[in-house]
Amino acid sequence: MSLAFFAAGLSLAGLLGLGRGSVRRYLVAAALGILVASPAFPLVGAVGYLSREALEPTLAALLPAYPLLALVPLAAALALALAHFGGRVAGLGGLLGGGLGLFALLSFLDGHAHLVKLRPVPGLMEGVAALALAIPFLALAWGQRKRAWLWLPLGVALGFGAFSWLNSPTGHTYFPRMGAYYKLVLPAEPGAEEALVQAFNQGLEELNRVRQEIGLPPLKPIQDLSGLGEGRLPQEVAQAGYRLLQPAALRYGAVALLLFLGVLFGAGLWLVFRPGLEEPGDLRQGGVMAAVALSIFPAFDATEFDLGKLVKGWPFLVNFLDRAWPPNLAQPQHDIYPLQSVASEMLLTVEIALVGTLLAALFALPTSFLAARNLTFKNPVLRLLFYLMRGFYNVDRGVDTLILALILVAAVGLGPFAGVLAMAIHSIADLGKLYSEAIENVDKGPIEALESVGASGSNVLRWAILPQVLPLFVSYTLYRFEINFRVSIVLGLVGAGGIGFFIKGAMDAGHYDQMVIGIIAIVLVVNLIDFASSWLRSRLV
Amino acid sequence: MIEVRNLSKVFPDGTQALSGASVSIPKGDFVAIIGLSGAGKSTFLRTLNRLVEPTAGEVWVGGVEVTRLSRKELQAFRRKVGFIFQQFNLVQRLTVLDNVLHGRLGYLPTWKGLLGLYREEDTAIALEQIKRVGLQGKERARADQLSGGQQQRVAIARALAQEPELILADEPMASLDPRLSDVILGILKEYNEEKGVTVLVNIHVLELARRYARRILAFNKGRLVFDGPVEALTPEVERQVYSGNLEAL
Ligand SMILES: Nc1ncnc2c1ncn2[C@@H]1O[C@H](COP(=O)(O)OP(=O)(O)OP(=O)(O)O)[C@@H](O)[C@H]1O
Ligand SMILES: [Mg+2]
Repeated sequence: MSLAFFAAGLSLAGLLGLGRGSVRRYLVAAALGILVASPAFPLVGAVGYLSREALEPTLAALLPAYPLLALVPLAAALALALAHFGGRVAGLGGLLGGGLGLFALLSFLDGHAHLVKLRPVPGLMEGVAALALAIPFLALAWGQRKRAWLWLPLGVALGFGAFSWLNSPTGHTYFPRMGAYYKLVLPAEPGAEEALVQAFNQGLEELNRVRQEIGLPPLKPIQDLSGLGEGRLPQEVAQAGYRLLQPAALRYGAVALLLFLGVLFGAGLWLVFRPGLEEPGDLRQGGVMAAVALSIFPAFDATEFDLGKLVKGWPFLVNFLDRAWPPNLAQPQHDIYPLQSVASEMLLTVEIALVGTLLAALFALPTSFLAARNLTFKNPVLRLLFYLMRGFYNVDRGVDTLILALILVAAVGLGPFAGVLAMAIHSIADLGKLYSEAIENVDKGPIEALESVGASGSNVLRWAILPQVLPLFVSYTLYRFEINFRVSIVLGLVGAGGIGFFIKGAMDAGHYDQMVIGIIAIVLVVNLIDFASSWLRSRLV
Repeated sequence: MIEVRNLSKVFPDGTQALSGASVSIPKGDFVAIIGLSGAGKSTFLRTLNRLVEPTAGEVWVGGVEVTRLSRKELQAFRRKVGFIFQQFNLVQRLTVLDNVLHGRLGYLPTWKGLLGLYREEDTAIALEQIKRVGLQGKERARADQLSGGQQQRVAIARALAQEPELILADEPMASLDPRLSDVILGILKEYNEEKGVTVLVNIHVLELARRYARRILAFNKGRLVFDGPVEALTPEVERQVYSGNLEAL
């Protein structure tokens, strides 16, 4: 299994090399990836007694117990250093780094389960968090050298402040999981494992009696810890700070490292045979690629991405389609008329979008003039209003229609009114911002001309600015209506009525043959509205 | 008619566009303003109706001290001053008639202007000016459907619809086919002679200035270097006007 990941990395490097660009950047990216993943990504699993005692140590945390693992980052660092020289040397560095790293990692991953002891490292996670806060300021100080006197002390002060607060008892009450988040993995004292095996075997008779009473099959005596029943430690042992480390339980860090090692090795191979595949900017490009790759691994892990589940759920999907087709358009004998319901609810959905968009446009129209820089910069009062308006838009844009709808449903009750309100409130900001940008981009010539004939300020607005922006306003509003129609479908799911409400009801009741009518209707109407609206918009501008 | 005393303009970025210009122009004169690019011609013209605020000096027009007017008074003053721009500055999406009617906005109460409730006489004046510039039949056409020369004629009609006592034209033919210069200047000249209205025109082409103007003002680097009748513009003076490098370009 582990080798398969390495091979995948290897073939990835092979493919990447077929493109004409530099291969050294992939080598650099892989080496950087290894250097970051080693201390940051969980490598394998370790269990205690309770599920919350489970632990996923990183490669760096495992070093006290398995010093050989240090070869992985060290070899990567070596490869990185050699990559600097370029040519065949870089290639050899890649081969060496990939090979040594693979050897060290595999010899660990192929090992048995082991008893290990934990040593918490206080302050480490706090330090990382504080650093993350300070880094933007340090970057600002680097970017704007002239303002460094401001940003540098600010960043340092913020970093230290955050660190001492996070590390204090108060900080630990707010972020309970942060204290001693990182734990070093130490080898258990010699003899501890044997003692554990013995203790287990001795207590087995008692345990099996209990198991029999609650109807579980009896357990057999074990030879070593890997045979420990159900893969967890006895309670007392876990409480004493021991964990059972299971190298076979790969975590995403192991996958990442193996892939990186494969790419490192593969890129090395390319460079040994084609030493010219390099460019001056490789370090920079490699850094960017490594950053992207490094953010992808934890994200896939966090989203519990698992194609296996899809395979398992396949029969449900087939069953769903079976039961959804043919659609149940109407059953007069039971007084059920799904097609009629879909038509009415779809109409309601369109109407929600219409009213929501119209209300938003009505409010955005006057406020957008206050949110336009070019109309407000002359007068201090107007400028204050400008900042207020822009501030309101920015906050409002951040609160999604669905969230507003959830709150408003609680306030005004289930039904389309809550949905319309939510949609209107959220769309004001979006439209207002678009409107005000249109106003800021008007041709200034007509404004000057209208001023030169002695027209008053409001007449300049009416005759020089409005004719220029009105078609844009209409176009933006239509576009927002397209979006709002799709939003209003989903609004039904939170109880704001319309086609979404129908679909959710049919789904919950298991009436898939009714639900499918709703889905088909949505596909049709979405496309119809998008087509009509973009046709209208193309005629406007 | 126009009295300018020690007029100066320094832009916020420090550019000295005008330095201490003083002129006196009688009513009914046709004046051409010449000078190199960047000499300050546009700035001079624009300070006369305060599209540009001068930083020092006084401007008197028809016995009114323009530089002291409040915002409201300035609006009332501007309706009697037609300004013609090099880039026409029409509202592209509106019709010819709408654009020309804008020249009447200064004579309407604000709310009537907002609603476009022009009086019958306003429309009559607008139509008359459209006819004067030779665009009858195009009243309902949208401005962006016209050629450049037609658009500039609309802009002139808009200025004439103001029934101005003074016309300021900032290189009205510079973005047009040179052959149209005579049409544009011809309309202005005719109006000047018919109504005795004072006209100031910025002109790049010296030959045109000689042909149409009675009087010439010449600027060089913000300074008024010549002020006199056309006949006084000797080759020597010309060299002085057009001296200096073209760094301002
Ligand atoms: N808004 C402004 N801000 C700063 N400087 C300006 C501004 N408008 C004009 N200037 C500068 O003032 C000087 C005079 O400009 P002006 O437009 O009056 O020249 P001009 O004689 O009309 O030139 P042209 O023949 O090119 O139109 C130039 O140096 C110009 O760069
Ligand atoms: Mg100019």
